[in-house]
Amino acid sequence: MRSYAFERPGTVTDAVRRAGSGSAFLAGGTTLVDLMKLEVMTPDRVLDINRLPLRGLDTTGGGLRIGALERMSDVAADPRVRRAYPVLGQALDLSASGQLRTMASIGGNLLQRTRCGYFRDVSTPCNKRLPGSGCPAIGGENRTHAVLGASGSCAATHPSDLAVALVALDAKVRLQGREGARTVDLRDFYLLPGDTPHLEHDLRPGELVTEVVVPALPWARRSTYVKIRDRRSFEFALSSAAVAVRLDGDTIVEARVAVGGMGTRPWRLTAVERALVGRRATEETYVAAAATAVEGTRPLRHNAYKPELMKRTLVRALLELEQTR
Amino acid sequence: MTTSPIGRIGRETDRVDGPLKAAGGARYAADHQPEGLLHAHLVQATVGRGSVRRVDVSRAEAAPGVVAVFTPFRPLPLNPPSPQQSGENYSALQDTAVRFRGQVIGLVVADTPERARDAAALVSADYAVTPSRTSLADGSPGVAQGVVQKLADGVPSIDAALAASPVTVTTSVSQHAQHHIAMEPHATTAVWVDDHLTVYTGAQAPQRAAATIAARLGVDPAKVRVLCRYTGGGFGQRSPVWNEALLCAAAARALGRPVKVVLSREQVFTAIGHRGAVRQTIRLGADTDGRLLALSHESDGELPAAGGWQMMPGRDTSAVMYRTPNIRIDQRLVTLDTPPTWSMRAPAEAPGMFALETAMDELSVRTGVDPVELRLRNHATEDPVEGRPFSSKHLEECYRVGAERFGWSGRRARPRSRTDGDWLVGTGMASAIYPAWRQSATARVRFGDDGRVTVSSATSDLGTGSFTVLAVVGADELGVPVGSVDAEVGDSALPPGGVGAYGSSVTTSTVPAVQAACRAAVEALVRAAVENPRSPFAGLDPAAVRYRRGRVEARGRSVDFRTLLHAMGVPLVEAVGATDPNTTSPYRFHCFGAHFCEVRVHRLTGEPRVARFTSVFDVGRVVNAKAARSQLRGSIIWGVGHALLEADPIEPDGRFAAATMADYLVPVHADTPEIDVHWLDHPDPHISEFGARGLGEIGLVSVAAAIGNAVFDATGTRVHDLPITLDKLL
Ligand SMILES: Cc1cc2nc3c(=O)[nH]c(=O)nc-3n(C[C@H](O)[C@H](O)[C@H](O)COP(=O)(O)OP(=O)(O)OC[C@H]3O[C@@H](n4cnc5c(N)ncnc54)[C@H](O)[C@@H]3O)c2cc1C
Ligand code: SF4
Repeated sequence: MRSYAFERPGTVTDAVRRAGSGSAFLAGGTTLVDLMKLEVMTPDRVLDINRLPLRGLDTTGGGLRIGALERMSDVAADPRVRRAYPVLGQALDLSASGQLRTMASIGGNLLQRTRCGYFRDVSTPCNKRLPGSGCPAIGGENRTHAVLGASGSCAATHPSDLAVALVALDAKVRLQGREGARTVDLRDFYLLPGDTPHLEHDLRPGELVTEVVVPALPWARRSTYVKIRDRRSFEFALSSAAVAVRLDGDTIVEARVAVGGMGTRPWRLTAVERALVGRRATEETYVAAAATAVEGTRPLRHNAYKPELMKRTLVRALLELEQTR
Repeated sequence: MTTSPIGRIGRETDRVDGPLKAAGGARYAADHQPEGLLHAHLVQATVGRGSVRRVDVSRAEAAPGVVAVFTPFRPLPLNPPSPQQSGENYSALQDTAVRFRGQVIGLVVADTPERARDAAALVSADYAVTPSRTSLADGSPGVAQGVVQKLADGVPSIDAALAASPVTVTTSVSQHAQHHIAMEPHATTAVWVDDHLTVYTGAQAPQRAAATIAARLGVDPAKVRVLCRYTGGGFGQRSPVWNEALLCAAAARALGRPVKVVLSREQVFTAIGHRGAVRQTIRLGADTDGRLLALSHESDGELPAAGGWQMMPGRDTSAVMYRTPNIRIDQRLVTLDTPPTWSMRAPAEAPGMFALETAMDELSVRTGVDPVELRLRNHATEDPVEGRPFSSKHLEECYRVGAERFGWSGRRARPRSRTDGDWLVGTGMASAIYPAWRQSATARVRFGDDGRVTVSSATSDLGTGSFTVLAVVGADELGVPVGSVDAEVGDSALPPGGVGAYGSSVTTSTVPAVQAACRAAVEALVRAAVENPRSPFAGLDPAAVRYRRGRVEARGRSVDFRTLLHAMGVPLVEAVGATDPNTTSPYRFHCFGAHFCEVRVHRLTGEPRVARFTSVFDVGRVVNAKAARSQLRGSIIWGVGHALLEADPIEPDGRFAAATMADYLVPVHADTPEIDVHWLDHPDPHISEFGARGLGEIGLVSVAAAIGNAVFDATGTRVHDLPITLDKLL
């Protein structure tokens, strides 16, 4: 770990004023400290934001507002979340481990870094870590890498489970910078790697995530998150699906579908949503709709199984949702 | 803890070291904090092969707290390893050659561990790089090491025997490198006092480790002491001494201060040996009833150019397992520029039996003979190559009892025919075998005037339960409560001849020595009682004096040994017992077992999950049921990893692709099925009077095959290349 200055701002304004290009906010530290030890992240200033009033979970006026410093475990356990947005609670439950969830914050979760092994190993090149140095994953070990959104520069997946669920729910993030506050759709917040994989999101230097806003979506009460991985617990998704479906009798009238483990960012599948709407909720419908998901996938050497797995994960998620009817 | 004075053998005994460990009182290698301690951190090569041209240490040397930076250009003197010794064939920092990616090319010493680590990251090296040989496929076939062959009269070759067989099965399997990942990362604390060196480091064979360190540092072996009273797992990885410990001791000598090295989790993957990658092909020839007519087992195992453990997966598996008139075992080694390999729990047997038992399952499918019945038909009462009888073999009983406990009899042999909701359900079984081995051993037993008995042996307790074995056997032999016995291991200064804790041989070898030492100590106590003028038994004929349950008795008088020692004014009476190995026995010594399991595979997403496991073992006599169950169960969980998770592919440039705990997956609790472990109670009359054959590894052997066979039953898909992951089952 490189040495750094440690500061503890007391207010949002103070935090934002102190932040700059070489600084990093410290929330739970489960990503940041880990990557600092590996010298993958080398901030010269660490701003501990845990004293900022970015806590709380609010449902007044419909929808859900989650303070950026809320802990994953608390959000997952909140009965309002579990009732209104099962997909969120489940995505959190299936993330990391119990110990980590009690440390890790919602804001930090959305900004966690990829688990690409080369990114985390400073003895190798990596365009995301060291722009222009090359991408060993594309010709190397890429069983866990992305089949959607990858470029010739980077094929790393975004690892967050929560983000997949939030993208399905059309969530937004509230940002606070020196120039003021703004709200961005989470879907647009994450950038495609293109030639600049080191730029991961639309967050200006020093800008702080203050809140996550989930719009009201009453039928999200029927939603679910399915996560597929080699190990039964404590592993990132090889594939995951966040689905919500509104039925009229047996007919699907609205649907939300997003997948994880597949894309360089959490991937909303509007084509699948369209293919579901107006059809009867049957396995045939799900299979037909899921088939559209693989359009545009570009597998690498070791992840050719992923498009097929994505389809099957979607079908499974939709079937499991049926069982909660 | 129990206080029952007798009959502890085979019962449930709590670990005697349990409370201390649970309370954090047990001190491991890195827990020692001698006065003036310095901390060192390894620097590792980041290219696969070549040489170090230049090392820039200027930034590291200027970093806060740094005391010294050693490199090939400023080496710490170390002797080369003896050519007879297997393992790494070079000493770190003695030349500029890079033999594998991860080789130690520097050691940074500083005043705190953090500063040493941070400064190590500031060392940069320039290399001349040459291409690495990293793939078994490129190097196969390797060089033959051990061809074992026996052909029936008139049969010209194994190929001819196979060609003449009505049914043949060819099965090729492979597995990547695997890692031990003991709970305790490798660590060493080295302290010199004048020219005496004390090394705190986890060692499976403390006396051998002390001898190695002495030889490599060029010091008198009598002046080196290795201490590892508590060690957090060995699994083979702690049987040799690695460069980390040697450099630590050398740095402490050069700097005149104690030095500690603690490897990071990531460093353990590359600086310490792994189980080598291996590819195997089994060819079986059989008649239509499944009786074997020919068996061929070929293997190509990774052997690093830097040295390592030789992967011979056919020798103690296919060469002994089944009756067959024609057999050929051809074990080849492929030289690669990979980090050193080393034996890892059931080192050759786990991969070897995965190959054989997968092939046997395929034979069962081909012939329609039930897997258990197939194995009964091919049951061997003597080893098929040399014709030597087994010392004690109750494998048929393992099959029978296992099948009954598991509920095997109703099994339908129709793959993909059972479901439970969206899960495909399958069952599978496999036989297990592991060689039993009795080394020569010594133990010392001491009666103390505090009323306690101390049983010591210079072996090691890796968390396996040897402390408790020593205590239980000592208590049983002497007729005293287990609670009054202290066990002592993990110290090279104990009487010479302690056994290395490998090959599942500690109990097998040490128990007879403990028994001999107990008898010798009793004799010494009785002798002292009649010879010591202050003893109440002074002057009696020793034959008239007897020892019973901690007391010395004669002429109606009975005195406990504590009182006796006090009366005699003697602080202790002790004796050493030594036993020979049983190398001249006409028998083949092996443990046996049968595994049965149920696996579920999701019909859509393909992930395999082990639902339940039943295993029955024939391991001779068991000392402590509680520790035995834990060893066997732990082995089976390890086997779940072998089957479904554990793999570290090596990239063309020599980099391990999964050399971190995040990427190298081992089973977590959720992956652990319900496990029913059972063992038969048949002491082996030939291995020793006591009859224990050891059980630290047998549990892992063939777990992967049983799981793979169940996956086939569930899905109709046979996965030959481990691990069995969902992408192979879609
Ligand atoms: C072993 C392990 C397993 C894991 N498994 C999973 C998993 O299965 N699924 C999953 O989704 N996640 C998983 N995670 C990731 C974990 O969820 C994240 O590390 C965690 O959510 C990050 O939150 P934090 O508060 O600790 O963030 P920190 O580590 O404090 O911060 C992470 C990053 O976000 C920045 N940051 C934090 N808060 C803000 C803010 N309010 N505004 C602006 N920038 C901010 C930091 O500067 C830093 O760059 C795992 C992590 C580990 C270590
Ligand atoms: S995939 Fe992206 S993160 Fe991984 S090595 Fe390539 S550039 Fe780096």
